[in-house]
Amino acid sequence: MEKRKLPVLPVAAPPEGSRPHAPLGEGCFLGEEELPKAPALKEALATIKNWFRAQSLWVMAYGTGCGAIELRPLTTARFDMERFGMAMRPTPRQSNVLIVSGYLATKSLKRVIRAYEQMPSPKWIVGLGSCTINGGMYWDSYNTINRLDLYLPVDVYIAGCMPRPEALIEGFKYLMERVKKGEANGWHHYLENLDWYKANQKKLITDWNLPDYNW
Amino acid sequence: MKTIIDDIRARFSVEWEHEQRADLAQIGVAPGTVVPLLTWMKLHTPFVQLNHLSVVDWLEDGEFQLTYLLTDPHGHRSLMVCTRIPREEATMESVHELWPQAVTYEQEINEMFGIHFPGSPRQGVPFILEGWDDLPPMRRDFDTVAYMHAHHPSRPGREHVDPRVYVGKVFGERGYLHDDD
Repeated sequence: MEKRKLPVLPVAAPPEGSRPHAPLGEGCFLGEEELPKAPALKEALATIKNWFRAQSLWVMAYGTGCGAIELRPLTTARFDMERFGMAMRPTPRQSNVLIVSGYLATKSLKRVIRAYEQMPSPKWIVGLGSCTINGGMYWDSYNTINRLDLYLPVDVYIAGCMPRPEALIEGFKYLMERVKKGEANGWHHYLENLDWYKANQKKLITDWNLPDYNW
Repeated sequence: MKTIIDDIRARFSVEWEHEQRADLAQIGVAPGTVVPLLTWMKLHTPFVQLNHLSVVDWLEDGEFQLTYLLTDPHGHRSLMVCTRIPREEATMESVHELWPQAVTYEQEINEMFGIHFPGSPRQGVPFILEGWDDLPPMRRDFDTVAYMHAHHPSRPGREHVDPRVYVGKVFGERGYLHDDD
């Protein structure tokens, strides 16, 4: 591979008394071999950004089903999710994690879609409980969905009915690992396959009165 | 409770009565008797509060049973006034002029069972469901599993165990656990 040489930039004369240094692109203090290449720099920045993101998961304070009851001990003193940098936020505009906690009625799905699309990217969805995976104990109900990933991109599923706060912590730690590695790209998948997701959503929600995308 | 039922019997035709507890009794009346009876009870007896209005679908009999739960707030007693109406084109007189909160119960019953209450406001206005275009879902002839298969795709690989088979396997053919087991 051809070694890319950075352009030599014009450098102003150093102030009097300062140490002279080599022009940019010809070494500086890093030396010729240590010059950062553009892709590596980008990668490093992405790693740093992802590290920061993983340390500050802000969860939207919204519960769809009975699973939300397990979030209370997680937020309060006993399990205290604040020590992982996670906090509850009151609106979708301020949060980047949406927890679908348990069964999701068709009627709530509409509100969840609306909230999810209003969240700023990058954003992640945690499917909590068996209901989001395969319908759980409400699998034969007329008004609860069976598979969440048909309608919204799910980054982490936490199985159980209900999963205890310890299980939730494990799930969130796994989400943090994925975010750090840059693997949790559900939001990207959602935008790339928006037509497919929208078709699924509109098939279920017959009285569709939402905009095409809730900015 | 006996006194109040005797009072009702003296004025209205009661089909059956059942005293469940010292503070809870049920009476059955004809649909046409319900509104006069409830009006009299609200005006002349301590049973002034409508606590609940519920429906049971007796599919085999072709009837709906409506139960009006009235409470005496000071005596801590309740009386259930039951009536049966035909299931086909089910219609019942509204009690929203006696108790305004009945509007909400009647709206929900209208949506979930398809019983019509003429004159009651908000009939036909969606209460819980949105964009519903099937049978009212709480009717027993509504096939919820078929609806689920048609509308909610499932993840493959789910195993279903019939509860009756499972319970039989665990507890034997009796299907329940005895004290001496």
